[in-house]
Amino acid sequence: MDVKIFQFHGCNKCFNETILLNGESEYKVEFIEDPKNWKETKTDVSVITGYLLLEDREVLDKIKSNSGKIIGYGNCATTGGVFALANQRGYDISPLNKFIVDAQKINGCLGEVEELKSAINYEEPSKLKNLCLVCGRKTTCDYLDEVKRQIELDDDTTCFNDLGYLCSGFIAKECKERCIDYNAPCRGCKSSLERPGIRMLGMFGTLMGNIEVATEHSELGATDKLADQDDDVTDSLPDVLGNFFRFTLPTSGLPRGRIPSSGNILNDVFAGRLIEELPLISGLLGGDHSISLTLKIIETYEKANQIELSEPTKKYRQELLELENQLQEAIKSKDPEQYKKITDEIRKIGGNMNLSNVFFGGFRTQIDDNDNFEDYKTHVFDVVEGTYKNGSVEFKIDPIGIVKEIIIKEV
Amino acid sequence: MSCENIEPEVLEKMENIVVFMCNECGQGSANTAGVARMAYNPAIRIVRVQCTGQIGPIQIMDALSNGADAVACVGCCLGACHFFNGNVLSMHRIKLLKKVFKELGYSDQFVNQYTSRAAEGETAVGDFEDIVIRLATAIREEGTIKDGC
Repeated sequence: MDVKIFQFHGCNKCFNETILLNGESEYKVEFIEDPKNWKETKTDVSVITGYLLLEDREVLDKIKSNSGKIIGYGNCATTGGVFALANQRGYDISPLNKFIVDAQKINGCLGEVEELKSAINYEEPSKLKNLCLVCGRKTTCDYLDEVKRQIELDDDTTCFNDLGYLCSGFIAKECKERCIDYNAPCRGCKSSLERPGIRMLGMFGTLMGNIEVATEHSELGATDKLADQDDDVTDSLPDVLGNFFRFTLPTSGLPRGRIPSSGNILNDVFAGRLIEELPLISGLLGGDHSISLTLKIIETYEKANQIELSEPTKKYRQELLELENQLQEAIKSKDPEQYKKITDEIRKIGGNMNLSNVFFGGFRTQIDDNDNFEDYKTHVFDVVEGTYKNGSVEFKIDPIGIVKEIIIKEV
Repeated sequence: MSCENIEPEVLEKMENIVVFMCNECGQGSANTAGVARMAYNPAIRIVRVQCTGQIGPIQIMDALSNGADAVACVGCCLGACHFFNGNVLSMHRIKLLKKVFKELGYSDQFVNQYTSRAAEGETAVGDFEDIVIRLATAIREEGTIKDGC
């Protein structure tokens, strides 16, 4: 079967993951990194990865007329993905279904290659459970007294939401990446229903029932109304858009943002996000550089704020960087066995390909059973306002921890 | 500021203002206003719901994406929800949705929540007036929400 993989814009993690198809004898896989200059040839299945802009319509039409089936693989193609947070600043990143209505979608960041295989083979999509049903933590759904931006890692039996730590498991399907296994809440990359962000917003808003919402006297109505000023509700979630619409802004039904763009898409994705979310976002969108980018951002902040690093932390981080170099070699040679071996190693240390286990000051879960976890366990850190600069990365943090500006030179 | 001072070209842009009113105080006060023949802006479209606690971002976004210029909820007074605390819960959700609009660079006045008293029609009509005035300010400053969609 002829399979063509097209990489459009942005991070190439899903595109790289399709290297695993290369090892299967039933597929004749062709990788197309520059779809604009693709010479049209008939193909059985086309797989679209990366985020899409309106200007890609022509290329997508060409692909459509030459393909028996089209599959959108990964969140960037299916719902806009993390890059679509730039739509807040006027970009027009669009989901694949806007161009090709009947394209099959495989959500996830990273998309799962097993699902891709079954889609290529025209098999029925497997029925996956809701993430909460397979999560080891138990919920009571009591109203929250406060929302926490970072949690202590001691409690591993209570639901993240009950601890006051926003987790999108309610609207997510079970997945392979399983951030929840690494003391990181689910970010909802593989949603189980339509418009997950809006639903999660309603759900979490309800959970915040015990947090005081400001009201004011309405002159005309002579009764109370919801106040315009900021209150505990808005202060506890400084970045609502980035928390609830991380992967699905273009499909959420919200209008396109009107905040002026800085002209650089990476800056537009990062600006407005929270400092504690930076490792995750750089892990999501860094492609084959995600490890070095994430560690660079983390280390920039740690260095400036004198966050001490233990020897095991340094050792594991160094191992991750070495694995990244090996991964780049494997990607160049398109060797599926090598790729699988190295990604398995990365998953052992980083948790998953989005590096859920990596955080400021250490790691979120124990990596090796023989280690003493206390040696490299991450702790709640303080948000410190300032401008941070370290070689190719420079960012500015405001007093509540919102990134105002970021410059990344190498990706 | 009252509704009479709003320019006709701004009023023209308000075609549909969806107001979800709870079955108890909200709808009750609208009924009282109706019995007393109080006038209010013809763009107001009342949708009766059991409790404003039923209304969340999904219903509001559905209304906005299907042509509403603004959406408001009118529920019972604070502490007087006929169920338990539906009016306060929907305030939490609407507050978050207002913040989303701000983060996208829009006015947060396209969505609002009010309370009213069933025995006093003036409270509902006053709320309607407040909705219209706030929407007029938002339209004057940055156009309707449809301009951004």
